[in-house]
Amino acid sequence: MKGVRDLALIELQHLTKTFRGKTQTVEALRDINLSINQGEIYGIIGMSGAGKSTLVRCINFLERPTEGKVVIDGRDLSALAPRELRKLRQQVAMIFQHFNLLQQRDVRGNIAFAMEIAGLRRADIDKRIDELLEIVGLTERQHNYPSQLSGGQQQRVAIARALSTNPKIILCDEATSALDPQTTASILSLLREINRKMGITVVIITHEMSVVESICTHVAIIDEGRLAECGTVESVFSQPQTDAARKLIFRGAGKTENLMGKRMVRIVFDGETFNEPIIAQLVMQCHVPVNIFYADTRDVGGKVFGQMILQLPEDRLQQDKVIYFLKNRNLKLEEVDGHAL
Amino acid sequence: MPFDKLVALLAEGVRDTLYMTTVSTLFAYLLGLPLAILLVLTAPGGLRPVPLLYRVLDVVVNVLRSVPFLILMILVIPLTRLIAGKAYGSTATIVPLVIAAAPYVARMIESSLREVDPGVIEAAQSMGASIPAIIFKVLIPEAKTSLIVGATISTGTILGYSAMSGAVGGGGLGQIAISYGYNRYQMDVLLITVVLLVVLMQIIQVAGMYISRKTDKRIRE
Repeated sequence: MKGVRDLALIELQHLTKTFRGKTQTVEALRDINLSINQGEIYGIIGMSGAGKSTLVRCINFLERPTEGKVVIDGRDLSALAPRELRKLRQQVAMIFQHFNLLQQRDVRGNIAFAMEIAGLRRADIDKRIDELLEIVGLTERQHNYPSQLSGGQQQRVAIARALSTNPKIILCDEATSALDPQTTASILSLLREINRKMGITVVIITHEMSVVESICTHVAIIDEGRLAECGTVESVFSQPQTDAARKLIFRGAGKTENLMGKRMVRIVFDGETFNEPIIAQLVMQCHVPVNIFYADTRDVGGKVFGQMILQLPEDRLQQDKVIYFLKNRNLKLEEVDGHAL
Repeated sequence: MPFDKLVALLAEGVRDTLYMTTVSTLFAYLLGLPLAILLVLTAPGGLRPVPLLYRVLDVVVNVLRSVPFLILMILVIPLTRLIAGKAYGSTATIVPLVIAAAPYVARMIESSLREVDPGVIEAAQSMGASIPAIIFKVLIPEAKTSLIVGATISTGTILGYSAMSGAVGGGGLGQIAISYGYNRYQMDVLLITVVLLVVLMQIIQVAGMYISRKTDKRIRE
């Protein structure tokens, strides 16, 4: 058993959430175990309906888990009195897909809101608002109302509001899903900056792989209420172990039905092998034609990752030649079948 | 009736009508606001669901709202006597007016509060807001525009009730319309009271809408 000191900042233990309706029972989460350490940017990804929104709401007990434990900073949330839980929530800020700002308060008023709840003094609140406006770059918009702001600006207000009580953790529930790609990039880089400069742990719920790729250090894949896979983004992306992970990583790989049954391999390039003309060498040295079925490069945490799926020729000998060649190049290699795509 | 006497009579009627309407509206809100908040909090899926209490409040409100005002006035005469000391006149009318208006007002406020974006409430909860903080910093301020519109409609309704009360001993313009227009066939007096009631209703409506628009921050400039 781990001692309290070894516990991660966020520990989810055997987390299960069941919604009982009159006619049916939905198991939103089933036995989730996850540790998130201080300073990580943890992506939780899954198809819609996979249970990830329920999962993030269990982290701050907006939803009470049916079974299992949530331990934050060594404190078991289920053991806290309501008042202590509210106090703890000031350490676990949250931002939302639809920003959820008070429409009748201006930018300053919205940022002040979280601090008013925390019981700060007016003078301190005003001073802190000025700092936060600087951080999120909205000083000029401080007297505007949410209806006068763009989506990206509204999310910046929400981030300022989240930061105002100096939280240890920021939970992001599809925080960029309502934003265009450019605005998404700017919000993500703001989150990364906050993580780097302030050491705040960020948990990002998303259905977009690109969000995980661009800022997360770790990723957990949720599939039908279960934790399919988790680990560093590098390890999960380069060697996904489960179908659910492969499905997400290769989403958009194209039609696969007409190619099923043929032998295919997936090669992963990392930063070192990336610049070599491997496929050209393969074709020239082995004298074997291969079909590039799918290819993609991604920037994961600042490192370039490439992956390619090659469809091998029918001939068994030629297939082995290709695999032998690729293995000798120290490439990560695995066989895939059409179903996994 | 000499002109100056008529003017004095009508002026008194307007004054009494305004007196009944404003005081009744005030008391109706004093009772209706907490009732509405209780309804919203205790409802299934509310912030603090108490199904039994909700059912009871819900039924009480519905029962009170389904008794026609004129009949309610007669029904509560003993209570009116107890509180106001008599069962006729402007002050006495306030008692049944409040009893009839409070559940109406409660429903109005309840529906306004329900319009508040659940996401904003959830955001407040995620910040550790207590229930009183959610009520006074989120629900009521965010529903402000809708609450003002509701207050305008409620005040108008109470004005209408107050005029109706003239039929069974209430005061104000309603009473003038009944005793001069209906009982003594003075059509001119009847018409003037109607015009005055329409003007009062218009003033309430226009002022209420103006205030609600002016204070709404959701409108892009």
